[in-house]
Amino acid sequence: MNAYTLSQAFDLVATWESLAALAVGLVAGVIGGAIPGMSATMAVAITLPFTFALQPITGILLLLGVYKGGIFGGSIPAILIKTPGTPASSATTLDGYPMAEKGEAGRALTMALYASCIADLLSNLALILAAGWLASFALSFGPPEFFTLILFSLTIIAGVSGDSLLKGLASAVLGLLLATVGLDLVYGTDRFTFGEPNLMGGLNFIAVLVGLFALPEVFAYVYAPREIHGRVRSVTGTAASRADVIRCLPTILRGSLIGVVMGSIPGIGAAPSAFLSYSEARRTSKNKANFGKGEIEGVAASESGNNGVAGATLIPLLALGVPGDVITAIIIGAFMVHGLQPGPLLFATNGSLVYAIFMGLVLSSGLLLCIGWFATRAFRHIADLPKSIVMPAVLVLSIFGVYAVNNTTFDLGVMFLMGGVGYGMMLLGVPAAPFLIAFILGPLLEDSFRQAMLMSGSSPEIFFRSPITWVFWGLTVLSLVFLLTGLRRKPA
Amino acid sequence: MKARLAGLAAMTLAAATATAALAEYPERSITMVIPYGAGGATDISARTMAEPIGSLVPEPVVMINRTGAGGATGSVSVKNADPDGYTMLFARVGSHTVNPAMKATLPYTLDDFDFVGVYEINPVACAVRTDSDIASMEDLVAKVKAEPGRISYSSSGVGSLLHLAGAMVLKSFGVEKPLEQAVHIPMKGGGAAATAVLSGTASFICTNSSALASFVSNQQLKPLMVTTAEPVEGFDAPSAASLGHPELEQLVGWTGIAGPAGIPEEVAEAWRGWLAEVVADEAFVNAMEARGSVIRLMDPAESNAFIRGQYEVFRKLVDDLGMRIE
Repeated sequence: MNAYTLSQAFDLVATWESLAALAVGLVAGVIGGAIPGMSATMAVAITLPFTFALQPITGILLLLGVYKGGIFGGSIPAILIKTPGTPASSATTLDGYPMAEKGEAGRALTMALYASCIADLLSNLALILAAGWLASFALSFGPPEFFTLILFSLTIIAGVSGDSLLKGLASAVLGLLLATVGLDLVYGTDRFTFGEPNLMGGLNFIAVLVGLFALPEVFAYVYAPREIHGRVRSVTGTAASRADVIRCLPTILRGSLIGVVMGSIPGIGAAPSAFLSYSEARRTSKNKANFGKGEIEGVAASESGNNGVAGATLIPLLALGVPGDVITAIIIGAFMVHGLQPGPLLFATNGSLVYAIFMGLVLSSGLLLCIGWFATRAFRHIADLPKSIVMPAVLVLSIFGVYAVNNTTFDLGVMFLMGGVGYGMMLLGVPAAPFLIAFILGPLLEDSFRQAMLMSGSSPEIFFRSPITWVFWGLTVLSLVFLLTGLRRKPA
Repeated sequence: MKARLAGLAAMTLAAATATAALAEYPERSITMVIPYGAGGATDISARTMAEPIGSLVPEPVVMINRTGAGGATGSVSVKNADPDGYTMLFARVGSHTVNPAMKATLPYTLDDFDFVGVYEINPVACAVRTDSDIASMEDLVAKVKAEPGRISYSSSGVGSLLHLAGAMVLKSFGVEKPLEQAVHIPMKGGGAAATAVLSGTASFICTNSSALASFVSNQQLKPLMVTTAEPVEGFDAPSAASLGHPELEQLVGWTGIAGPAGIPEEVAEAWRGWLAEVVADEAFVNAMEARGSVIRLMDPAESNAFIRGQYEVFRKLVDDLGMRIE
């Protein structure tokens, strides 16, 4: 890095086109993310063709803006209507929605915004300062390391089970079971598809997500229409106070760190990171009992966990040329259209572009704060609307969103079925979050286990092949010990 | 007055029907199904085409992703649609030659589709990590034969082009039982498959050159061979033919457009014209070539012959190696 490259990079970013691209991207992302069923991935994929005609830096900043805006935007419906706009914000519903119910939608939304922006900034700094180091860490993650990491992550289930661990485990088992539907990874044979082509690809994740989280609320309302014209949830004017932010700061910092580590490893994504951050926050918090009932720290943990991933997924992309997830795979497409090859050589051949991207990223965290602030002000009034208006709107949005993912009515069937399951779980007091975690992590656990077994010719020693595996085995054992001692202390 | 109005209405209706009979395809929007997820090779190819095709076709062209089961879910949805040209499919090597050759339970066959054209060819290359002691195909084959079970290759999943390519290349080079002597490690998606070689999880990979281009130019991966007759830009590796294996030229990726079997001649004709104009569009060609595709338009007859030919080759290999999935 020299002064000349830096000044060139500055010239690339400090143009109206670049700034406008970033801002437009963020706005589009926030809106796209806020629409349930329209994930950040879809928003980025739709934006891609528009970047072909733009300058490389403008196009890439546009895509990054959509990506970051999308991850934050997902938290808005998660808090207001208990429908995660993107899978990454599922954990935000756990405390965000109860807060909105209590009339604290404004506080939850602003905290989500602050946590997102702080984590985003830290994630970008990690990318700029430690990309090389984190990338080599990421490359040492083979299937055995991946397996131990996911195994450790499964201990999150205890953290989001609510009052009864048994009910949490039952929910997780159901999630694991439904995640096995589809094609077997190693043999390619059909599993539980009953000859139905629509089931061959497995259950659509968005349909399951929306069915499980949003629909039970609607069903419950239909069954017992409370507060038809009565109490309207108001007092949404308050924002998160400085004291709130200071209290949540350790949680946000930890969530950012978790996000950075999880984001730099290809193939995990933002949803597990948010859940891990949430469960860590709950485990260490003084207000442990309040988690799941509208604890602002829970919102901070989840949103810092998912936005911490955003900058870090660019680490494998820029340092190795490896796409960490589907979104970065699309962004690689934007590089290649302009004849740029992401990877170690990019720093040498197009250093100014790389540094321009870094500058743009840091700028995007600040811009996200401004744009997100307007978005929270605009959207939070949704929480003031009577349920008789909100609930039908949620139903329509859910149907529209789930249909849009794959353009098939089959997914709507899956959604309504899962809505029924979710409603049943709600009546029985079975938490939905463990189901979702198992549904996301189960296939990763199975795949990495079987890949590792193929590598080693079925010798289990491979799961102890590196220090990383030992660390995660250790962490897993520790969490189980904490869990069991905690259970024993609790009066039966 | 009423009678005159009715008369007028009847006349307009008659005129409308007359034009409808004469009207050229398309009269309404065309739905194009992309059977793979957003961001994949097929999706990016389709979205690159969306721009020029959208300005050529007088009615809206709607691109939708219908993902699942290696392209099968989206393909079935088009197979079951009316063959009127208003539901078309971006068919891909995986969904239309590898999968039909490998999966016995696949709910469709090649006979269920009419191809209006193949427009893109993707050369296949095999590569290893730069610091690997394997320097040539000869080394690779010798290693596989010397230490059965030590060498592995990654793929984007069972029934993918990569899965078949690794086996086909080894078989061609004289490895009798490639799936026993080498280990196949399926990953989730092409990006993960390339990363697996980079991180040492797998020893080699055979996939579309476009998926490897950036790793090769960054000297993270070392190409051993390309399957096309012509050399591939940026890949300093011999062609399969020059190594004495011209039969591997069948091993290429492609993308084409198909409708359900029985689409009218008029529809195929319209698409032929549109595709011919698209591949003449400079912006389209540049965007595609920047990602390592070779633009090559085949007419319906040629497309069918090409796809059938590839299917037969793959089918024979699958039967010889016992790779069929029941």
